[in-house]
Amino acid sequence: MNLFTLRALLSALLFTSLLFPFSAIAQEQQMTEEEEEAAYEAQLKLGEEYYSVNCRMCHGKDGDGKGFVATIKYAEKKGRVLTTYPRDFTVGLYRFRSTSTGCLPDDQDLKTTIKGGITQSFMPPQDGISDEELAAIVEYIKTFSLRFEDEDPCDVIAAKKPGYVGSDKSIDKGKVVYNDMKCWECHGQLGAGDGPKSLDIKDDWGQQLLPFDFVTGELKRGSTPENIYMTFTAGLDGTGMPSYEDSLSEEQRWNLVSYTLKLMGKIGANKDAGGH
Amino acid sequence: MHSRFYLSLLLVASVVVIGFMGLATFREMSTEWQQHQAEYKDYLIANAKDDAAKKRAENIETGIRQIFIPSLKKADRCTSCHIGVENPMMTKVDHPYQVHPGNHLANHSVAKFGCTICHYGQGRATNKSQAHGGERGENYWDYPVIPAKYVQSACARCHDMKMLADEGVTNIVKGEQLFREKGCQGCHKVKGVGGDLGKELDEIGSQPLHYFPMGHVKGKLTAYNWIKQHFDDPRAIVPTSEMKLTLKGDEADQLTTYMFSMRSDEIPSKYKLIKNLPNTNRSGKELYTIFCSACHSDGQTAVFEEVFDRSVPAITNPDFLNKIDDKTLRVFVDEGRSGTQMTAWKHTASGVKKDDVDKIMAYLTQNRSETVDPFSYAQFQRDPEKGKAIYDRRCAFCHGEKGKGGGRKLGLNLRNDAVQKIVDPAFLATTVRDGRKGTPMPAFGAEGEGLTDQQIADVVGYVKTLGKK
Repeated sequence: MNLFTLRALLSALLFTSLLFPFSAIAQEQQMTEEEEEAAYEAQLKLGEEYYSVNCRMCHGKDGDGKGFVATIKYAEKKGRVLTTYPRDFTVGLYRFRSTSTGCLPDDQDLKTTIKGGITQSFMPPQDGISDEELAAIVEYIKTFSLRFEDEDPCDVIAAKKPGYVGSDKSIDKGKVVYNDMKCWECHGQLGAGDGPKSLDIKDDWGQQLLPFDFVTGELKRGSTPENIYMTFTAGLDGTGMPSYEDSLSEEQRWNLVSYTLKLMGKIGANKDAGGH
Repeated sequence: MHSRFYLSLLLVASVVVIGFMGLATFREMSTEWQQHQAEYKDYLIANAKDDAAKKRAENIETGIRQIFIPSLKKADRCTSCHIGVENPMMTKVDHPYQVHPGNHLANHSVAKFGCTICHYGQGRATNKSQAHGGERGENYWDYPVIPAKYVQSACARCHDMKMLADEGVTNIVKGEQLFREKGCQGCHKVKGVGGDLGKELDEIGSQPLHYFPMGHVKGKLTAYNWIKQHFDDPRAIVPTSEMKLTLKGDEADQLTTYMFSMRSDEIPSKYKLIKNLPNTNRSGKELYTIFCSACHSDGQTAVFEEVFDRSVPAITNPDFLNKIDDKTLRVFVDEGRSGTQMTAWKHTASGVKKDDVDKIMAYLTQNRSETVDPFSYAQFQRDPEKGKAIYDRRCAFCHGEKGKGGGRKLGLNLRNDAVQKIVDPAFLATTVRDGRKGTPMPAFGAEGEGLTDQQIADVVGYVKTLGKK
């Protein structure tokens, strides 16, 4: 090989590499509606496949939460016996959202729940799931409810933790909010889920709900300050836990996060109470 | 100059010594019990009905009172302070002058029984804090005075429960009832009878203080508080406890009362009065409650126990009983299930009489409703390779890829001896085909998930290989 051919080869390579992005754009433009449809169908098929192996047993063939496993009885350490029901997807109501109350969840919300599972329930984490499968399963679950066809998604609420969260002052202010907003009516004075109204709560499906005992366990949504803030802001739709987006200021909600973290034993005196 | 300094120093020192001696004499002359006896005397003189009574009161001698009862090994000086305990006049006064409440002393005279046989505490002590123990928040005595709400524990040391129930001694009777209803003997042995998960309870009421780890007890550090608070929330007192029981309200006090009736020191038989023989002929249902219900509840539905971190099977559900034969069931009951909280219930392990185990078996199997269509497992050629493909798709989700179950998984462990060696593969196949009602195990056969009998046989064939991996 002489110098000339090498040069020619190199320039040809350079040329094609320059052309490559253009050709990709051209291809994308060429993807017709039919092809998009086909890609979506393929995605749904992958979703259905994954669903039928990993989800269907509990959530049912039609996503109505009436799978073969049906209800599961669960006895807590404290002696309460709960009956857990798999989520019914047909209503399109989701607890763990980062959108305002009444809105549909963001895709990322569904992905987080599916991938991470829900602690203190029987929704297991999906450790080995690929991004492609995750996206597919989300699309498939969406097909169970007409809401996803009819409604446009809402904006995602931003949760940026201010510096004061966790400070003593913020905890004290949060305690005032906890008392004023009567959080204790359900959650109990110390957050053990044993407030005076704790036995009277029903979810939107008419099943009894017990307020979460957040003293002993990790929160189902996740226990970071941002997760807790999102619960106060977005509410847990379908349960007795409302959204406080309109009734509490952003600062009040963050203070309440501080107080909740304190009750959970994540900050302050409770932290060392466990060890002996 | 020097000698003068030392002389004055000696003077000061002498005054101090004489002062201390005076103080010691004064304290010896006016002890708690002397004051109480003086006040008691004054009260009797002031409230005397006639001159004779007044004279009697004036003649009361001051001095330590002691009730010495060799057969009980007791020397109780409690009446030195509680001087009016047998005097019916002393109703409108406070402790320690008050007469003993109720009519208990009518049959249990102080002279014959003393005080500490029921109330515990240190009978020989002559001041309150040493006699009662635990007065100052800390407690150094093994057996301080028992709080009044638990004092009925002493009744059961000499009397039977039926007699106490007839006499209206409710706390201890309810405590004993709770002990049976909550199935305490499912985990704890009493007189050699019961399960193996918990500690033996025979001497729990007379265990010394160091038997109880006091790290998390609130209030006075006594065994009474330990047991009571342990019933309120076991894991608040022993963080690693696997005890399932939690009690509400008075129940914890009642069961605590019963606990303190279980002591190692026997009372001489002449003190005992037993009117009814213990009930040794219990029905299968009662025996199920005593030995099985703590974990299995009514046994109709499976419950995932957070404490055990596993599901507890529904053993009285007809759907389970229809599928399992007596022989296999008996093996489970007799031998327990290794690797789980289910301990062995044969006589040599649990102390439960063979007849009683028979009764429990009969009680369980009476719930059978029909016979199931058997699965002729032997007829099929099993292909574990094909079975694995089905297992990974349908079963691994609950039972785990390697069949271990556990963790937050709903399914049972498929690798233990029960599944691998004891049960008939046909039982496994029937369970896969028809599911198990009352538990999360669904039916995978034609009427459920749509597996063919061949596929089910393949899966069972594969499950049978899990134990070897």
